[in-house]
Amino acid sequence: MYGSWANRLLLVPATVWLLVMLVLPLLVVIIFSFGERGTAGGYVPAFTLEQYANLSARFTAFKNTLLLAPTGTFLCLLVAYPLAYFLAVKVHPKWKTLLLVMIIVPFWTSILIRTYAWIFILGGQGLPKVLGFLGIEGVRLINTPTAVLIGIVYAYLPLMVFPVYVSLEKLDKRLLEAASDLGSSPIEAFRNVTLPLSIPGVATGCMLVFILLMGEFLIPALLGGGKVFFIGNALVDLFLQSRNWAYGSAVAATLVIIMLVTVSIYMKLVVRNQQ
Amino acid sequence: MSKKNDQPISRKKFMQELRRYERGSVTRRHFLGVTGLGVATAVMGAAVPGLLPRKSWAATDIGDRVILATWPNYHDPANFEKFTEMTGAHVQVNVFGSNEEMLAKLQAGGSGWDVFVPTNYTITTYVGEDLIEPLELSKINNFEASAFDPRFSDAGTVNGTVYAVPKNWGTTGYVVNTKHTGGKQLTTWKEFWDITKTDFTGRTMVHDYQLTTIGNALKYFGYSFNSVDPNELADAEKLLIEVKPHLYAINSDYQPPLRNGDAWMSMCWTGDGKQLNTDMPEMQYVLGKEGGEIWSDYYAVPKSAPHRDAGYALIDFLLDPAVNAKEVLAHGYPVADSRTNELLPKELLEDPILYPAQELLDALEFGAAATLTDPNRAELLARFKSA
Amino acid sequence: MRIYTLAVYLFLYIPIGIIVLFSFNAGRHASDFHGFSIKWYGTVLANPFAMEALATSLIVASTTAVLASIFGTMAALALQKVKGRIRAIYDAAIYIAIMIPGIVIGIATLIALVTAFKFLNPVLENFWPGFLGDAPHLNMGYASVIASHTMFTMALVIVIVRARISGMDRALIEASADLYATPWRTFWQVTLPQIFPAILAGFLLSFTFSFDDFIIAFFVAGTETTLPLYVFSSIRRGVTPEINAIGTMVLTVSLTLLITAQFLLRGRGSQSSTQ
Repeated sequence: MYGSWANRLLLVPATVWLLVMLVLPLLVVIIFSFGERGTAGGYVPAFTLEQYANLSARFTAFKNTLLLAPTGTFLCLLVAYPLAYFLAVKVHPKWKTLLLVMIIVPFWTSILIRTYAWIFILGGQGLPKVLGFLGIEGVRLINTPTAVLIGIVYAYLPLMVFPVYVSLEKLDKRLLEAASDLGSSPIEAFRNVTLPLSIPGVATGCMLVFILLMGEFLIPALLGGGKVFFIGNALVDLFLQSRNWAYGSAVAATLVIIMLVTVSIYMKLVVRNQQ
Repeated sequence: MSKKNDQPISRKKFMQELRRYERGSVTRRHFLGVTGLGVATAVMGAAVPGLLPRKSWAATDIGDRVILATWPNYHDPANFEKFTEMTGAHVQVNVFGSNEEMLAKLQAGGSGWDVFVPTNYTITTYVGEDLIEPLELSKINNFEASAFDPRFSDAGTVNGTVYAVPKNWGTTGYVVNTKHTGGKQLTTWKEFWDITKTDFTGRTMVHDYQLTTIGNALKYFGYSFNSVDPNELADAEKLLIEVKPHLYAINSDYQPPLRNGDAWMSMCWTGDGKQLNTDMPEMQYVLGKEGGEIWSDYYAVPKSAPHRDAGYALIDFLLDPAVNAKEVLAHGYPVADSRTNELLPKELLEDPILYPAQELLDALEFGAAATLTDPNRAELLARFKSA
Repeated sequence: MRIYTLAVYLFLYIPIGIIVLFSFNAGRHASDFHGFSIKWYGTVLANPFAMEALATSLIVASTTAVLASIFGTMAALALQKVKGRIRAIYDAAIYIAIMIPGIVIGIATLIALVTAFKFLNPVLENFWPGFLGDAPHLNMGYASVIASHTMFTMALVIVIVRARISGMDRALIEASADLYATPWRTFWQVTLPQIFPAILAGFLLSFTFSFDDFIIAFFVAGTETTLPLYVFSSIRRGVTPEINAIGTMVLTVSLTLLITAQFLLRGRGSQSSTQ
């Protein structure tokens, strides 16, 4: 086998990379978060807890993120589950690959351009106008939380469909037949057989989408009109408008801590449920 | 040139012709002829490629690109095309909605810009932070200091050194779609904020820019546009937070939603007001009686400019009076350059949007350097947005 | 169920349809249609900035994908033999690398590098040996984007390849060693063929991520402009159908690649399974 020196050598690039591009930047964020803002912006060395004490000034952004990220994840699941179920269980195998590929294809144009298309659809000349013809007047969509949630479901749907599909795919159809032979209604069969089997996929999908949503910037920026603010938007503002690196670092560090905590709790729960 | 071409034309007709020209449906010659700008053809001729050996950059190779950081709806795209034709350098335009954003980008190092457009009150900060270079005026032959109104060109000179040359000036008011006011004329900032909370709920836009959004909220209470007084700022913040649920958006690029009808009113700069009013006469540009901002924008060169020669060439080109006149026709902001104004139609020089009545102008304030760097104002806007 | 599935596919494809439709708009504004024209494709192809942004993105994405798959695979192979506390540290670092929001990575990298360069550049200028020419001036650019993307995607590759290794047939490796094959030969002839699908998957994932990433590049690209950055600044300038043309072209190229790949695979008659 590889000698120990060779093994170490193999680890060198990854170690250097993780140290320079992950550990070092995160350390800088932590150090800066105890500093102060320079007169014209930027960072001035200091040791103060002022930045953390001031976190409440971003309370709404944190609250929005912690509300909209789970809501977005849940809506994604709601839309994705029936689709994944249909693809895994009901569709003729001949069509499966094509339908699956068709879910990924939209991913190949830039997320920016696709989200931009939604600005048009949700704007006054788009969907609200169509609804107006149908007699539903005065609907406003663009620059509302609803618009942001629609954009989120659109952008992250495939990330939810695939894990759920994979777990449902493994479902042995004979189990369902057995359940129905034993007198279970389709709903009971779904609840007792299908649902439990799909839990791992649902858990994976939810975690993927949730993690990405916690750091979301683009969708609220484009579909929220500067009114629907995630922590990601607050961070961009702190670095690209008010140039407060110290406070921005404190907000970033807090976001990371919140994520580590929520994801760890979530994983514990999922693991426990599976045992 | 035929006799007919020298007839003065109405303002409306002029702008119609301009739009046609911009859309490319008439040729430049036709445009100049019909609009009476033909008088200036001799001067205009000077801007045609290859005719100007005195240009320092015409002879040298300036490379194939130049990157300009500027504001929304601020140039005539045809001028950039002409520049590319003349020099071989393509112009990339990056658009920003606030001076803070430009400063942040430069402070973070490596903006990649060759030329950018800072506003009067920011220039001392850029100089202090060592972010812009003293201009090599020998490379900007078209900058003739004596031709400029010092009110709008002084801020470019810091401690006797020229760091920036004037682009144009303007005011910050608001534009309102009078179709939705029931014929009522708005005249004050107080009305702007009050109507936003009532009849115009969900239809008003404010800039994503602390100077104007906070400044005009301060005006509601009659405070100075530049105030950094904590109590006065607290009042402004209260108003902003109260109004926020009634806003359509917080964005400095407000023309698209105003044009498609999603938004009815927005804080607005002179030129955008002019552009909107020309295409949609129901769009009225209002300067609040309480005051607000008067400003002047400049061209400056960042220290790190990667295509420095091309940057200077672009500034020089844009300051050519003939080119600048075309810029004005496209962006609708007044310039402080008397040579350019000579080439502009009288109607434009008397336009009440570009040149508001004296009593309205008197109430306006230039931005102060302290507002750019004041940490409370920056933080206030960020809090307002994340509220 | 069918109707539901159809509705979801419509939801996925309407924005794509709008992008494609408006790329053929003869008018200048994206919001109203002025008749059919392909002139915007010409405009894009003649626009040096769009083309250079595309080239930059291709260079960044392919370099990232190559580095991430080589270093990631090396690390994944080496990590099997690392045990105990050191292993736990590596696992934690990889977990954090994947979980941290891109926006935090971008910001942290930006402030860390800007600060580091501020110290390093004067040092380089003073101590650079004259016979080597002018001292290099460290700045954000290609290197910082590639380094940052590689950090994240390398962690992904490690996870994917490790999953494959753990499912690998150990007996083969042991047999190979028993037959006195050198470790190097064992690697080339036994290990690599087995983990190759995972490396390929990691490579493709890295490329896709890097090519489409906006938020990290937004902070660390310095003077370089990747395609997503170009699209973002164009959107701010008011979208012309040029952006729609870019989106349509990227989509067409990806689809062509997919169909070609499918064709080639079918032509070889091999039913290769991914994982």
